[in-house]
Amino acid sequence: MNPVDRKLWLASITDRYVRGGMDRRTFLRSAAKLGLGVGALGAMSHLSARSGLGLISPAAAQENIQWPEDMSNWLKEAGKPFAGQTVRLATESTPPSNAINSALKGYFTEMTGINVEIETLPLEQVLQKLTLDVASGLGTYDLYYLDQSWMAAFSGDVIDPREKYESDKNLAMPGYNIDDFLPALVDGISMYDGVMVGVPYDIPIFIQMYRRDLYEELGLKPAETMAQYLSNAQAIQQAKGPEIFGTTGQMKSGHYSLECDWTCWLWSHGGSIFGPDKTFTGNDEAGLEAMNYWIELKKNMPAAVDSWTWDGQGQSVAQGIAGQLISWGEFFPSWDAPGGSNVVGLMEATVPPKANSLRTVEQTGFGEIPGVGHQGGSSLAVSKYAKSPDAAWLFAQWATAPETQVWITVLGGGTGPTRQSAYDDPRVKANAKPGIAGTTRHLDAVRETIANHMGSEPDLPEWAEISNDTIPVELGRFFAGEYDSPKAAMDAIKTKVDGIVAG
Amino acid sequence: MIVRSGLEIGQAGDLQRRKAAAVAPKASRPDGPAKRRRYVSDTPWPWLMPLVAILATFAIYPLFYNIWLSFQEFLPRKRQLAYVGLENWSTMFADARMWDALQVTLAYTGICLVIQVVLGMAIALLLDSDEPGFGLLRGVLTLTLVVPPAITGMMFLLMEDAQFGLIPFVLKSLGLMGAGGVILSSPTWALWGVMLADTWQWTPFMVLIFLAGLRALPKEPFESAMIDGANAFQTFTRLTLPMMWRVIAIAVLIRGIDLFRTFDYVYVMTSGGPGTATYTLSLYAWQQTFSFIKWGYGAALSLFTLVIIVLTANVFVRVARLKW
Repeated sequence: MNPVDRKLWLASITDRYVRGGMDRRTFLRSAAKLGLGVGALGAMSHLSARSGLGLISPAAAQENIQWPEDMSNWLKEAGKPFAGQTVRLATESTPPSNAINSALKGYFTEMTGINVEIETLPLEQVLQKLTLDVASGLGTYDLYYLDQSWMAAFSGDVIDPREKYESDKNLAMPGYNIDDFLPALVDGISMYDGVMVGVPYDIPIFIQMYRRDLYEELGLKPAETMAQYLSNAQAIQQAKGPEIFGTTGQMKSGHYSLECDWTCWLWSHGGSIFGPDKTFTGNDEAGLEAMNYWIELKKNMPAAVDSWTWDGQGQSVAQGIAGQLISWGEFFPSWDAPGGSNVVGLMEATVPPKANSLRTVEQTGFGEIPGVGHQGGSSLAVSKYAKSPDAAWLFAQWATAPETQVWITVLGGGTGPTRQSAYDDPRVKANAKPGIAGTTRHLDAVRETIANHMGSEPDLPEWAEISNDTIPVELGRFFAGEYDSPKAAMDAIKTKVDGIVAG
Repeated sequence: MIVRSGLEIGQAGDLQRRKAAAVAPKASRPDGPAKRRRYVSDTPWPWLMPLVAILATFAIYPLFYNIWLSFQEFLPRKRQLAYVGLENWSTMFADARMWDALQVTLAYTGICLVIQVVLGMAIALLLDSDEPGFGLLRGVLTLTLVVPPAITGMMFLLMEDAQFGLIPFVLKSLGLMGAGGVILSSPTWALWGVMLADTWQWTPFMVLIFLAGLRALPKEPFESAMIDGANAFQTFTRLTLPMMWRVIAIAVLIRGIDLFRTFDYVYVMTSGGPGTATYTLSLYAWQQTFSFIKWGYGAALSLFTLVIIVLTANVFVRVARLKW
């Protein structure tokens, strides 16, 4: 039986088991015939709440997951010269990193003899660690977790994975298939100035999410335009407020999350951060229209949004006090997790509304790609200063290989994969059910948003400062009432941003 | 009523005698010259070397390195430091963000000090008793001090959350805050919200220092004051405060230096916002150094903070007539 048939068969028996058409013993026997053994349980780990089987824990996963024989054999051979070496990675605490760290990296070590140390930190601290590492050239970290907004800053400090894959055949994982990565992601989060800075690793992206129960009760439909999105928020607020707000936000002053929200409204109203002359354009007519829209939208948010980052925003939905939002799709599985949410099975996901108008890349500066679906993807890159660069490259390939991405998606709580094949994998599709931990039922919306609605921030070395300080601090001042008008705030941002860019 | 230490005058006298014995000539010591020589060396340097090495490594070298660094700047594209002369210093004095941060830091330090000294003294006076249970209360006071400041910041961040927080809920229930009221995202109240966390954590420190001072005060002046018919207020202002002055001054000095360097609470609770309403000098220096890798500018900011602390502390020591 070929691998695709095996996976389809597994999906089929998994579905029968969940529906009660097969007992556990028969299910395991059938899975064993497929050569999947107890590992099949991992594919249905999400079904615990209904089947009573129990969610497969990271520890159990470590016991049970099996890897394709060809992949496993190749890693054993390729890893031999590097056995005993240690690969170090500093990463944000994201679902893929957590899944690898807690449940999967042990397999890599078992197959290759290479140890892996993963340090999980808040995003801003990852940036600090990496910057210090490249500045000192010490090679403390062999692998860099690179947010898309840092590509320009680190492009000269990493090894181009495509070149490495082509030039070092002994270390090129068979079937790795770089072309399997979603093309929009490769362009949006991995490329800078013709250099592939890293391999696409994860893809948090803005999608439209809403409370199905509220929409049904109020006769609303998922917004197809930005105006509808606002009117939906107002309708919910009017009918359900102040217990339930029309929408929510991540608008903490001085925090990157505030800048993320801003770009969504800016891009969707035909604006851009930079113009072709590489000066700030957020204060133009489209930019001000976006600000006015945002002000109206904010009237339907809890007052506390001004002190929330993404954590607070996600939690507000989980607590059941927000009716809709355009934000990170990776929130979605946590809302379906029984026990941790008041909206289990109630949320729905779809693509963002259509932008009023959209600038082309040529109409912007520094490679900015306007789109309502703001993406915050990241890449995994091998450092030029790595102490164990080859071992790190092996790990990077394994961590982003098709099979690993499937396990990350299944065990990592339904995070969005960066490979097309992972979205199509039956084990991932089998999780697309409501009301279960780690659901993947939002991934169709994620995939379509990546393909058709994705927005990417500009690539310039100063972007980390502009996006993490200048813009969110001034926006914070505006929402705190320190500016008389959106125009005054945007003009102030323009002066500062243009000053920084001019050096 | 004047509540004060139970230390007897006889005990205080013992202390004085013990001090006198410690500085008396060798011959006066009962254990004689042989034992004393164990603590004296004709060649002290080898014994001092470990301490000197530690100081040189962790204090003197970083200080001089920082001074040197403040005249350099890191060039991200070249990945190297370049000499920039006084540019970092001139940029700093012309930087409106730095002056904002200094203003916030001074306000934070001043207000917190006043609140913590007043509250600390009040609580210390209440707890200065040998009645049953008071020992336990004094022990409980130390609990806040063992909580890491970042955790305290996180606790208060949640407690002050406008949507889910306990404090806004109580304030709204009492009619002291409007329905849309916020603390940490209001330019007016954010700094007070952060100061609340600081005050919760560090007032007990003041209480403990003041309690130690109160319990070491001699009884006689208070007994005389009582016989002379002084009321509680008079006794407090004319006896307790003057006699406690040095203890208070030392507590103010220690807390003042600490408050001027405040970082954790602000970082966790507001990230300096809204806008720059809670940006302290330490947070600003940290951001410039580690987030934007402006090492030279960050060094200049840190040194400026150090200079302010050293100058202020020295002036304070002279004014308060503290002797070390």
